[in-house]
Amino acid sequence: MKPVILAFETSCDETAVAVVRGTEVLSNVLSSQVDLHSRFGGVVPEVAARAHVEAIRSLTHRAMVEAGLHTDDLDAVAATEGPGLVGALLVGFSFAKATAWARQLPFVGVDHMEGHLMAPRIDHGEAFRPPAVSLLVSGGHSEIVLVHDWGEYEVLGRTIDDAAGEAFDKLARVMGLGFPGGPAIDAASEGGDPKAVSFPRALSDRPYDFSFSGLKTAVATFIERAARSGDLPPLADVAASLQEAIVDVLVDKTFRAVDDTGVRVVSGGGGVIANRRLRRRLAEEADKRGVTLCLPPPVLATDNAAMIGVAAVHHLSLGHVSDWATGVDPGLRLG
Amino acid sequence: MKVVALSTSTPKSSVALAEGREVVASAERTDRRGHASFLVPALDFCFDQAGWVPADVDAVVVDVGPGLYTGLRVGLATAQGLAGAVGAQLIPAVSLDALALRATTGHRHIVAVVDVRRGELAVAGYRPVPGGVVRDGAPQLVTPDRLRALLESDPGEVLLVGDVPALPEETLRGLHRVKVGRPRYPGAEALVEIGARTAEKDDAPHPDEVRPLYLRDPDVTINWAMLRQEGPWPGQR
Ligand SMILES: [Zn+2]
Repeated sequence: MKPVILAFETSCDETAVAVVRGTEVLSNVLSSQVDLHSRFGGVVPEVAARAHVEAIRSLTHRAMVEAGLHTDDLDAVAATEGPGLVGALLVGFSFAKATAWARQLPFVGVDHMEGHLMAPRIDHGEAFRPPAVSLLVSGGHSEIVLVHDWGEYEVLGRTIDDAAGEAFDKLARVMGLGFPGGPAIDAASEGGDPKAVSFPRALSDRPYDFSFSGLKTAVATFIERAARSGDLPPLADVAASLQEAIVDVLVDKTFRAVDDTGVRVVSGGGGVIANRRLRRRLAEEADKRGVTLCLPPPVLATDNAAMIGVAAVHHLSLGHVSDWATGVDPGLRLG
Repeated sequence: MKVVALSTSTPKSSVALAEGREVVASAERTDRRGHASFLVPALDFCFDQAGWVPADVDAVVVDVGPGLYTGLRVGLATAQGLAGAVGAQLIPAVSLDALALRATTGHRHIVAVVDVRRGELAVAGYRPVPGGVVRDGAPQLVTPDRLRALLESDPGEVLLVGDVPALPEETLRGLHRVKVGRPRYPGAEALVEIGARTAEKDDAPHPDEVRPLYLRDPDVTINWAMLRQEGPWPGQR
């Protein structure tokens, strides 16, 4: 029997609740705080924690109703244990643990990044299996992970400065686009020429690490000079070009890892995986090599609770259950 | 009626189980950072002691502050999860009320204080009445200096309860009409009484209206480096 799990994710600025049965998503709801934070120029931890505690009760009710289930039907409860903002994590974790205890169900604390990593299991089923290379890119993280087996992860490389999502945010600002920057640049690049402007691709000494801080300076300088001299290319061209610079680095490093390790499966996770250009380029490179590409749809790439539920299914199958005294771990690291 | 009470608004975390107003099991621990790891094990322990199962619970009374923000949220999220899972009523209680209710006094005016960090205290005054206390007004935030001024201006004798040891030493110097009393921290056992009164009056708000009493807006640092700026392209917002 596939276990039915009620899962919570509150590590940052989305209150998210889901019900899964095995890798099947029965409901997946969230309350986004993006409007609350955008006027501050980023996520404010205290604002996030307050919003979580206001949203979680009714959101849980909605997830259960949409799943068409009663609490009697649950087999376990799961929640993100870290990494993330401690005050935010504590809301989902406390709510989930109390729910599990009250129904005398197993409780599973889940690593947020393992959730992102396992999200493609929802749509790709058995096609997504280790060994695999996983590109995890979001506002908070940028990592290339070699998945030896479920639960056995080796971080091959990571960003040495800004996370990919952070780079998009900073670039969007330079261009006068809104926050969060990823979706804004993706939309602005529509119809643009990715070769219009050649921005630098920062390649670090270590083969799988990447860096984005130089790109921001390059783009800012370019825009300033071009605007002054009156030959600023169209917005779409600049957006497409800088997006290409980020995508190039991510795709290059990911497939370098694929080639070096010889794995036949590539996957991705995190909000930046929702970027349409990145998805297309990953698909092209995977096709060229005949390897299987397993990307989650955008709604399962950005923060969500279904991915936490799916990761919990795996832990539960191994008998990994958290005890009642477990706390959150804001500094949790994969591998 | 089976009641569970939780308090995590101060460094003291506490849990109490009661049949009506009679406490049948309780647990407490004082550790500023330990709220999240304490609550559920403490519930587990108390239910075992009392021979209860979670499904028995009719009401969950939760300390909504004022107090330590993270503690308040851990307590409220735990209470929401527990109440929701077993279909119990969720009843909010004010931390200062719990302090004043347990203050032992004959005639003195009671002033209750809870430390809310950043040099401020939450404070409320109470009149003793037969069988309990009546709060003078809504809890407010004050600095230690302002608290001193409030105590000085009180015409009668005052019993000050709450986290007095956390006050700067000079706050109470020379205030002869002020006596310091106990308890130092609010406890779940006092919440039982508050919860019972609320339940009798059928006065509990909708569970979505049960929110922490922060008493101030969130501390926000605006990240100016990331705030939207005007773009170089004509027609951009
Ligand atoms: Zn994430």
